[in-house]
Amino acid sequence: MSSEITDDILLDIHRRMVRIRTFEERAGKMMEDGKIPGALHLYVGQEAVASGVMVHLSDQDYITSTHRGHGHLIAKGGEFTYMFAELYGKATGYCKGKGGSMHISNLDLGMLGANGIVGGGPPIAMGAAFSCKFRKTSNVSISFFGDGASNEGAFHEAANMAALYKLPCVFVCENNGYGEYTPQANHQAIVDVADRAPGYGMPGVVVDGMDPIAVHEAAGEAIARAREGGGPTLLECKTYRYYDHVGVRGMGLSYRTDEEVEQWRLKDPIVNFEARLAEQGVLTPEAAEAVHEAARKDVDAGIEFAEASPNPDPAAVTEDVYA
Amino acid sequence: MAEPQPKPRELAYVAAIAEGVRTVMQEQPDAFVAGEDVAEAGGVYGYYNGILKEFGPERVFDTPISEEGIVGLGVGAAATGCRPIIDVMFMDFMGECMDEIANQLAKMRYMFGGRATLPVTILSMAGAGASLAAQHSQSLEAWICHLPGLKVVMACTPYDAKGLIISAARDDNPVIVVLNKMSLAMMGPVPEEPYTVPIGEANVVRGGSNYTIISFGRMVHEALAAATQLEELGIDAEVIDLRSLQPLDSAAVVASVRKTHRAMVVHEAVRFGGFGGEIAAQIQEQAFDYLDAPVARVGAPFSPVPFSPVLEANYVPNADRIVAEAKQQLGL
Amino acid sequence: MSLFGVVANPASGKDVRRLVARASVFDNQEKQAIVERVLIGAEAAGASAFAYLNDPNGIVASAVRENRRLCAKPLDATQTRTALDTITAARALRDLGCSVVITLGGDGTNRAVALGWPDAPLIPLSTGTNNVFPRMTEATLAGAAAGLIASGQIELREVAAQQKATHVAVADERPDLALIDAVLSRERFVGARALLHPEQLDTALLTRAEPAAVGIAAIGGLLHPLSEDADEGLLLRFGPGGERVRAPIAPGLYKTVEVAECRAVQTDERVAAKGPGVLAFDGERDRSLKPDQPIEMRVARTGPWVVDIRQTLELAARKGLFRMEAPGARRKTAGHEMAGHNRRA
Repeated sequence: MSSEITDDILLDIHRRMVRIRTFEERAGKMMEDGKIPGALHLYVGQEAVASGVMVHLSDQDYITSTHRGHGHLIAKGGEFTYMFAELYGKATGYCKGKGGSMHISNLDLGMLGANGIVGGGPPIAMGAAFSCKFRKTSNVSISFFGDGASNEGAFHEAANMAALYKLPCVFVCENNGYGEYTPQANHQAIVDVADRAPGYGMPGVVVDGMDPIAVHEAAGEAIARAREGGGPTLLECKTYRYYDHVGVRGMGLSYRTDEEVEQWRLKDPIVNFEARLAEQGVLTPEAAEAVHEAARKDVDAGIEFAEASPNPDPAAVTEDVYA
Repeated sequence: MAEPQPKPRELAYVAAIAEGVRTVMQEQPDAFVAGEDVAEAGGVYGYYNGILKEFGPERVFDTPISEEGIVGLGVGAAATGCRPIIDVMFMDFMGECMDEIANQLAKMRYMFGGRATLPVTILSMAGAGASLAAQHSQSLEAWICHLPGLKVVMACTPYDAKGLIISAARDDNPVIVVLNKMSLAMMGPVPEEPYTVPIGEANVVRGGSNYTIISFGRMVHEALAAATQLEELGIDAEVIDLRSLQPLDSAAVVASVRKTHRAMVVHEAVRFGGFGGEIAAQIQEQAFDYLDAPVARVGAPFSPVPFSPVLEANYVPNADRIVAEAKQQLGL
Repeated sequence: MSLFGVVANPASGKDVRRLVARASVFDNQEKQAIVERVLIGAEAAGASAFAYLNDPNGIVASAVRENRRLCAKPLDATQTRTALDTITAARALRDLGCSVVITLGGDGTNRAVALGWPDAPLIPLSTGTNNVFPRMTEATLAGAAAGLIASGQIELREVAAQQKATHVAVADERPDLALIDAVLSRERFVGARALLHPEQLDTALLTRAEPAAVGIAAIGGLLHPLSEDADEGLLLRFGPGGERVRAPIAPGLYKTVEVAECRAVQTDERVAAKGPGVLAFDGERDRSLKPDQPIEMRVARTGPWVVDIRQTLELAARKGLFRMEAPGARRKTAGHEMAGHNRRA
């Protein structure tokens, strides 16, 4: 059983959440302004999940992400310079401009990629968990996926195999209530994805995904269990994406009500966390503002780096296909 | 008189596969074998017999019947430092794992800007002729040759089977080794020591002067038989076994056609949309002025693989059909 | 004839104790099946209508779709996916004059009902993690007991006993209550809610201390058993200098706990403590206390009335409430093979 959370960890979680929010808000705006090509799936609203999980991990621990993957990379330590460069499609990006938002990755940080295929991540995370065990490390592999992906066969196969081989794998379901534009009630007969866990032979836990401490506690237990050889866990975090499936439009959407969005915003992971930290004397409002300001500066620097960076050489289109 | 050469050791195709896998497992501590029935059962065709005993359950293990999971396991493990050997029992089952093959395995290196290395070897069994019908008999190499990032090889002899498996496993790219179930009992010389068959180099298995048959997989043997028959018609056919479809040794093909001026492509897969179309196109692009006749193509008819032996015999290309097609092509 | 109520907590049986302990996952399909059996039992015993918390997971709503013979009324309650939904549902049930409420959950679920309706008449079914208050009972029979009470064939007061509650007064803030245990822990955050760090425990006031239970009640129970019938509570002050006890603080999880003081307290005797810390009620961390913020706790027999199912059905048997008329006898209510109707006919 993990010990109680320290102030350092609280501040670390806070910083990661603020960095995600700041990056995403800005990136979304730049997509709107036409500066970033393609489609962005923003992580705003779900910050507590990535941050609460990732503070337990080192660079040697692996994660797989989703099409909504910026938050996972930021929480895993991704640098804004290379991230913005990638979103701009520049040669200096994490993927040399070949992956973009939906494939952003950094293997040095153990981040095995965002993934444009819903359900593409869980089998890869399971494979990385196998690798951790095969190479006799105490590292773990985390698969982030959504309620929508939980209906993919790939998730089912990965969950079954992870439990079968008792792999150090944690399946973190970020249940934001929608598979793209389809509400959960229209895509599965259950509400708690964690209900499926016993069917795979692993524990299933539901936590409040808007509460970083709740996520941190539950993820800590699941990760410790995985490191000790106890096998996988299905950890379901109830959360919400503030914006549309793609892009920055949050309100006035046909498939959900504005009231629903407002209700979830009352649970905002950053606002509420800052209030609690202030109450506990861990973080003053001034200190919190300094964290926001630092994140904004990092975003500015990231954008500056991206804009000053060279485009890829057009001839590079066929490079990096093979080793 | 010189001493008579000792007869080289002969092995069956199935045993050569096994020896290739064993060699790789001995060479590479990060290699493991995962697939359906590969451990306890030794594989449905027996070419993993003894592998479990020699290398133990941590390195050789049975998986659930979950092709997407199995290939995904290979992708995740390879991206994090292992060198997986993944068995996809029948090539027909690639439909089950095509996302992992096409969208993850093939593309991960490129999507990540060259910063991922995926040394995955996939062994898979193709081929009709055993009355296994439409879902256990197909040759689907066209599917996977269309995917940048993959290498695709096909072994038609015991020698090539062992050598290509070793080359595939030593390669830092994902390589799919397509084997043929009708060749399992075929005997052929196989050196005991490790050796490689280079990926990307075609093999001229029969020299010829005025006709080129380009083939791969089990059809190479039918092409050779056809070449013998064609001799009677005054046709001296060169037979090229591509061995590697991706990358493709276009140079070997073009050099031969420039010499012989007439070409035919033979494969077991359905002719329409098959890999033969790519080869024919490359020949006309690079040797148009040398051609004395249109490039002929022999492949399976446009239907699923049938069950009945009578129907199946009329489905799979053979030497007689190759000869007939050549006669028609050449107006003989 | 009155309504009975059904409150099924969709969140019960799913928290982190599945992981740290080996608590059972209570999936919602099982909860739905339990509700279906409740409705069948209630119908067989003569009930005709019920009101329910329309939980966001649709547990009861799904069961209603399977059983349209009873008149089902969804309650006007919040849908926040928090305890507030249960609290507001309990208030609505009280306002409707509901005669008895079947709850599906653990100690925390029943506490939430009591927050909305302190002396609610309850038949608590266990689908939770810590289950000192509810019992494992076959839902069909719980439904039958509810049906007998709702149809007026059995008087609640004949078969129910009022439970104790621990009342907690928090300086400058709303009061609170626990049905089994109110605990002050030195942890700082509510987090994943489960109370899993015994070294952080400070003070607990128990309404009952059961050797055959899991949770904080077990710590007291293994030192100083105290039944639900005794008109007193048990105070535990944690820390060195007293006893050390090995107790199951969650399903599948024994911990050694140091108890500096353990003594019975009379009903309405006030026990003081103060922050900082977290107040946990019935096994779950619930709210934070500021440094030096005082609280006062007391045990009183003011809690819910809990129906004894066995006693209810024994009484029904004695009254012959399930006896059917002989074949061929005149049937007043065709197609309604329920004991109550036939008897009254």
